[in-house]
Formats: sequence, C-alpha cells, structure tokens
Amino acid sequence: MLTVEICMGTSCHLMGTQDLMDILDALPADQRRQIEIKGVTCFKNCGKSPNIRINGELLGNVTPELLLEVLQNNLK
Amino acid sequence: MPEINEISKIRRKVLTEIAQMTFEGRLHTDVDNILHTVVTEEGPRYRCCVHKERAVLQDRVKSALSQPMSSTMTEAAVAALDGIIADTPTIQVLPVACDQCPLDRFIVTDACRNCLAHSCIASCPKKAISVVANRSFIDKTKCVECGLCKRSCPYGAIIEISRPCERACELGAIAADKARKAVIDYDKCVHCGACKMACPFGAISDRSMIVQVIQQIKAGRSVYALLAPAFIGQFGVQVRPGQVLSSLRKVGFQDALEVSVGADAVAVEEAHEFIERNQTPGAFMTTSCCPAFVGMVEKHLPTMKANISSLVSPMVAAAMDVKKNDPEGIVVFVGPCIAKKSEAERYPGIVDYVLTFEELATMIVGAGVNVTEADAGAFESAGSKDGNIFARAGGVLQAVENVLSQLAPEISVQAERCEGLGNCKKIMQEIEAGKRTANFFEGMACTGGCVGGPGALTDSRVTTRLVENFAGSSPEKSAVTNPKSEEIIKLGLHRPHESHNESKQD
Repeated sequence: MLTVEICMGTSCHLMGTQDLMDILDALPADQRRQIEIKGVTCFKNCGKSPNIRINGELLGNVTPELLLEVLQNNLK
Repeated sequence: MPEINEISKIRRKVLTEIAQMTFEGRLHTDVDNILHTVVTEEGPRYRCCVHKERAVLQDRVKSALSQPMSSTMTEAAVAALDGIIADTPTIQVLPVACDQCPLDRFIVTDACRNCLAHSCIASCPKKAISVVANRSFIDKTKCVECGLCKRSCPYGAIIEISRPCERACELGAIAADKARKAVIDYDKCVHCGACKMACPFGAISDRSMIVQVIQQIKAGRSVYALLAPAFIGQFGVQVRPGQVLSSLRKVGFQDALEVSVGADAVAVEEAHEFIERNQTPGAFMTTSCCPAFVGMVEKHLPTMKANISSLVSPMVAAAMDVKKNDPEGIVVFVGPCIAKKSEAERYPGIVDYVLTFEELATMIVGAGVNVTEADAGAFESAGSKDGNIFARAGGVLQAVENVLSQLAPEISVQAERCEGLGNCKKIMQEIEAGKRTANFFEGMACTGGCVGGPGALTDSRVTTRLVENFAGSSPEKSAVTNPKSEEIIKLGLHRPHESHNESKQD
C-alpha cells in the first residue's frame, strides 16, 4: 500500500490541491486500490504549495504531471 | 474554476505576498522583493527574459494594489496603504503583459489547391491576395481582415483565427489596436471577466483592494465580510461554513454575514414587483442581481432597460442591513464576481469594498490563517433555501417562483432563463421582437450562475451540489417566512433613480 498524504490547507488549496485530487480519482482502478489517500491540514511548507508526502517523502510545488510521474515510479 | 494554471498561480502568489507584507507592516519597504520571489533567476520562464517577466510582474502588482501603471512600485504601495483606490477601470489590459498576439486573422491552409477560379483573389477588395509557391498568399500589409476571401473559397481553405480575448468577449468589447495590443472598449464592457480568464498570457487583470481592506482591519475598524451564497466549498470541498466564519474572525473581521438574507428580501420584493407589472398586458421583467447582465442590457439593449427589475442586488440589500446595525462598520462584499467591483461603485457608503473568493483566500493565507485548522462552530444559514440557491443558475428564478406560488398562485409565470451574455442578449432580442413569449427572465453572465464566476476557487459543478445541500439544510424554508427578509425590505430596496414607476413614465 502506498500512502499519499495530500495537504488540504488554504495555501495548498489556492495552488491546486483539487487538481491533484482529481488526478488520484482518475487513476485506473487497480492502481487506485494500491493507494491510501490521507488529508493533511498543513506540512509547514506553504512557500512551496501545493505539497504532498509520498512514502514519507515531502514534495513541494507539485503539479498534476509531477504527481503522476511519482506515482508511476512508486507503483509496480 | 477548473484546472489551476500557471497564470492563476502567479496571480495568487502576488496577492498572497502583498497581503502578508501588509499584515506584517512591511509592504512599503519590501514591495520590490515580490519581483524576486515570484520570478526567480532559475525560472520557470514564460517570456523572453527575466527582465520582461519582472516588468510584467510590476504591472500585476500595481493592479493588485489598485494603482495606476504610471506610478512606481513603492509609490503604488504607499498609496494603497493610505487607502487610496486610483480611478482606474475595474478590469484592464496590463500594457507590458499583452503579447500583441501576432495572429493573422485569415490564414491560407494546405487545403488551397491553387484552383483556376481564384475566387479569393477576385473577392479581395484590397488586392491583398496573390499566388506564391502554388498557393494563395495574403499580404498582411494590405489585408483589412474583411473575411470575403474566406467566404469565397469553395474548398474552405482559408480559415479565421481569433484572439482568445476577442473570442471570449460575447459583447465585442475587446479588440486589438493597430499595434496589435488588446484594447477594451469601456462603452461596451460590463466587467464580467471573461477576457481575463481567456488570455493565455494573463495580460488582463482586475484591480484588487486587499491592501485597503487589511488597512481598515489594522486600523481597528469594524470590518464585516458579506459572503455571497456561492461561498460554500470555496475554501476546500470539506471545509465547513463555521470554519470560514472563525477563520475570518482570526484574520480580524468583526463578523462574517451571509448575502443570502439579502437574496431572500430581493426574491420577495421581486415577486411583488412582478405581480404589479403583470397587471399590464404583455409585461416582461428580468432579474437584476447579476451586475454583468444588468450592464449588458444597459449598454447593449438600452430599449429594454425598463424591463430590468427595479431592485438592488442581494449584495446591496445585505450591505444596507449591516450599515443600519452598525453605521460606522465597513462592508466588504466577498463573492465569485468581478462585475460586483463596478456595481459597488454605484453604492458609495453602502458597499465599501469588493473582494473575490480568490482575493479573500490570499488574505487568509497572508494573515497566517489556515481554514482547515480553524474551529467549526455550529453554523446555520440565516438565509432561507430560496436565498441560498441564488448562487446557481436557475436559482433566482426558482426562488421568485416559490415566493409567487405563496403570494399569488393564480399568476402564470412564463419564464425563460439564460447563462452567458451572448445568449442572454440573443434571447432578450427575440423576446423584444415578439419571436418568443415570456413574462419573466433570469439573466446570468457566467455559465452555471455565480458559482461559475471568475473569482471562484472551486469547480462550479461541485459548488452547485454543495450549495444545494446547504440550502436544503437551512432552518428557514422560504424567503417569505424568513423574519430577516421582512426587516431588510423595510430599508427600501429600489435602485436609486430606477424605481419601476419612474421608468414607466420615461
């Protein structure tokens, strides 16, 4: 199981959290099943919104493209 | 507002930094830093060089401060901190940012067969077309973009390309000048914001008053946020309305109140006006809550001006209520709308400032407040179901029909409704010409209604659903029985100089 923590805080919301959620929702069912999504209120990294943490690694300035790339690298 | 692109991100970064610096009292000294934090040497780069990028950014900052482009950054910051709002249009083309889209309006494509008929050459009144390399060629120095060649080609080989801003404006209010820079014709523009959303270079901007509002808060004034009914879900789909309220108090607002109570009052009064007008055969009345729609009728269909309901918008009704209870209070309307910024100028001393949800969110972040971490106290809407559904297309019509079904069930309502200014204009013209029959019309400039406005933060389809749920949960079931609407109606809700009876005498 891959844990994807996604920041729902106001700063990240402004910079595109919802677009990242949409990417996760649109994953093929077999990939979606391998992911656990957790909402987080703040990673204290607002200067690099939007932020996510995958497998314990914090990523800033995440775009939908970057998220997809990271997911593909982590999902087998 | 789907997909947040780079333009929105830059705009939001600029606003957030300005808000933060203002809260921290260092805008006048640090404003130039924005040029280095938002545009870094490493990029990303959207323009030819970092210098051009920073020049564009200066324009954005001045627009965000509501100051003229001719002032320096520091002058602009100082003036904004002093509360000054320069006499600039609500929405304008940022001179440096407009990329002078080098689009040639008419282009000969590969489909040209260099036929014998040469209807394109024959059709061109400026002799701008000749055959070069076995294909028609349009000499741009002679072309006047009349389009006759496109229409004459039997293969449809000549295509027309338009600038995104021009295509987005359904009222023909923006066009390129001789230097190919976009220019807004303010005699036609109704400040809907469609061009701003369409420009791929982010060259069109609406002015912001965040600094002026923050200064009022810092001066210790009682500042009230009036939230448009579309506020549900704007700060995150899972955010509860009570969290928005407590966040705004943390930011320094005295209170946050709902415009839906004003909408209730407007729905009741609009129904009364409809009943009165309906005594005249052939009467036809439109809603008046969407300022871009009202502007469209005033500027583009002046003969139908008298058909607009004489009522103020829910924003103004709710603001009047706040001022009655606290005459010294400062009213800040917050909504998804840019046109409201212009509407508010007609009501000095009633609506003091207008912010979009986007601008308010940057203020919240700039104040170091996080809505998702705020307490969610109990929150029940003060507006009824009727007032709350004003936020989505069809809602105003439905609310007025609900009121009518209680006040005058015998009257038959033959209603039409429309989203998009071009559509509204077309249907209204058909009604005027007698090609369509209707006695009531709901006009909305934005697709989806207010929830689809340019200042919204959440996708309108999601917000529509959330608004519907929230409206259903309101303890007040009808605008008619909401005691608050009766109170507001007593304040007198007719627009200045626009009383229904006066306009009939014109």
